[in-house]
Amino acid sequence: MIGTHRILIVDDSRDLLDTFNDFFNSMGYQVSVAPDGFEALKLLRNNSLNHFNLLITDLVMPQISGVGLITIIKKEFPDLKIIAMTGYGYEPGILATEAQADLVLYKPLDLFKMEKNIAKLLKINTKK
Amino acid sequence: MRNSKQPIIGVSNSILKIKELISHVASTGLNILITGETGVGKDLIAHNLYASSPRADNNFIKVNCAALPETLLESELYGFEKGAFTGAHKNRLGKFKAADKGVLFLDEIGDMTLSLQSKMLHVLQTGEFSPLGSSQEFKTDVWVIAATNHQLEEKIINKEFREDLYYRLNIIKIDVPPLRERPEDIPPIFEYFFKKYSAKYSESKVEKPEKQIFEKLLKYPWPGNIRELQNCIKKQMVLNDWDKVINDLLNNPTIGTSIKNNFSVLPDNNFDTTSAFLSEFINFSKSSGSLIEDISLKKIKKQACDKIEKEVISYVLSKLAWNRSKASKILKISYKTLLYKINELDINPHI
Repeated sequence: MIGTHRILIVDDSRDLLDTFNDFFNSMGYQVSVAPDGFEALKLLRNNSLNHFNLLITDLVMPQISGVGLITIIKKEFPDLKIIAMTGYGYEPGILATEAQADLVLYKPLDLFKMEKNIAKLLKINTKK
Repeated sequence: MRNSKQPIIGVSNSILKIKELISHVASTGLNILITGETGVGKDLIAHNLYASSPRADNNFIKVNCAALPETLLESELYGFEKGAFTGAHKNRLGKFKAADKGVLFLDEIGDMTLSLQSKMLHVLQTGEFSPLGSSQEFKTDVWVIAATNHQLEEKIINKEFREDLYYRLNIIKIDVPPLRERPEDIPPIFEYFFKKYSAKYSESKVEKPEKQIFEKLLKYPWPGNIRELQNCIKKQMVLNDWDKVINDLLNNPTIGTSIKNNFSVLPDNNFDTTSAFLSEFINFSKSSGSLIEDISLKKIKKQACDKIEKEVISYVLSKLAWNRSKASKILKISYKTLLYKINELDINPHI
């Protein structure tokens, strides 16, 4: 069932994107990645038919910050679940919550724990 | 109503990206932080955001946070009640009220004192403010666009700027690079102001500069950015003497001697008299690029440049114990550019 779930991951660190991509792919998700808010917006808008179920976004990014991205897409894609992540202390996290992110995670991240959270958020039955 | 839109001119990638960003965010009302050196056109960008937004029919109010002492800035922003202090004979509306449903442009936000920063944070969090001497809270609906030429990240470390305010303003960041990092923008900007001032000073019959002179303008580092270029064209309209105008540029105290020497090397009397060289210059460089693909002057130039750059950056960094923000200031490039170059040129602390 997991394989039908599409995740879009946005982070300005290429290394992290690769790690996320490999990990969530191996867990059976369909993963797309974007290096910044611009690309993320493009991907979301171009895939409105075969839409994403979850957006995972870094918060502190150049130009369009994660909080900016969340605010913009919450209006356009109200059903999209959103996880925000940050390594810059609590302040950006508070803003992400105000912008109605479903969950805020603080780096460093435990990927397995993160996957459990995602499954819960997407209401995936993880019992095998 | 000031929604006559002055265009943002430029062909560089960074300017195109900024234009795209403006089109994406102008309708969102998200807080925006515009950063860049003096004279790069932060005002212009704020104005373009405003003019492309649904708020364009309401006010655009600019407040320069560096120009006023703290108490005055506070009453300027929030207004005051009659009797709030000696001399407050009647109520006065602040800029927050005046900008209601419009845009409040806070220029030089990095110079705001910490106590005013907390008050600003409160307004941004709650959308409410109270004038001096009043206990009443007023609702306000303003789109805050802030600008600074400071590295706010550094000010946060030095406890001169509130981190929470920074993140709240920095929802969208528009970083405008200095003109010397995008020399390809000099010809179109020059063209624009030359036309503009030619029309304004119609009695002065100023010719466009010779190719030789224009090359100097392209090489000049423009520490005052677009404002300096603009002033230089204005000056030419009055003096009609490019040699004098360029000499004046070089007498700018912020220009290092190396640049001055570099300029004096250029032959002065060896004019290649091509007219209407501007467009030619651009085409010329393009066509030559495709003609000599095999020799690739470009590649050689890049390699030579990289080598020099690497040496200079390593030298400056080693002198500063790898304080990169200081180094970026000395090198007059943005902090980000420096980090990029360190990575790109593979510069390491232990060479």
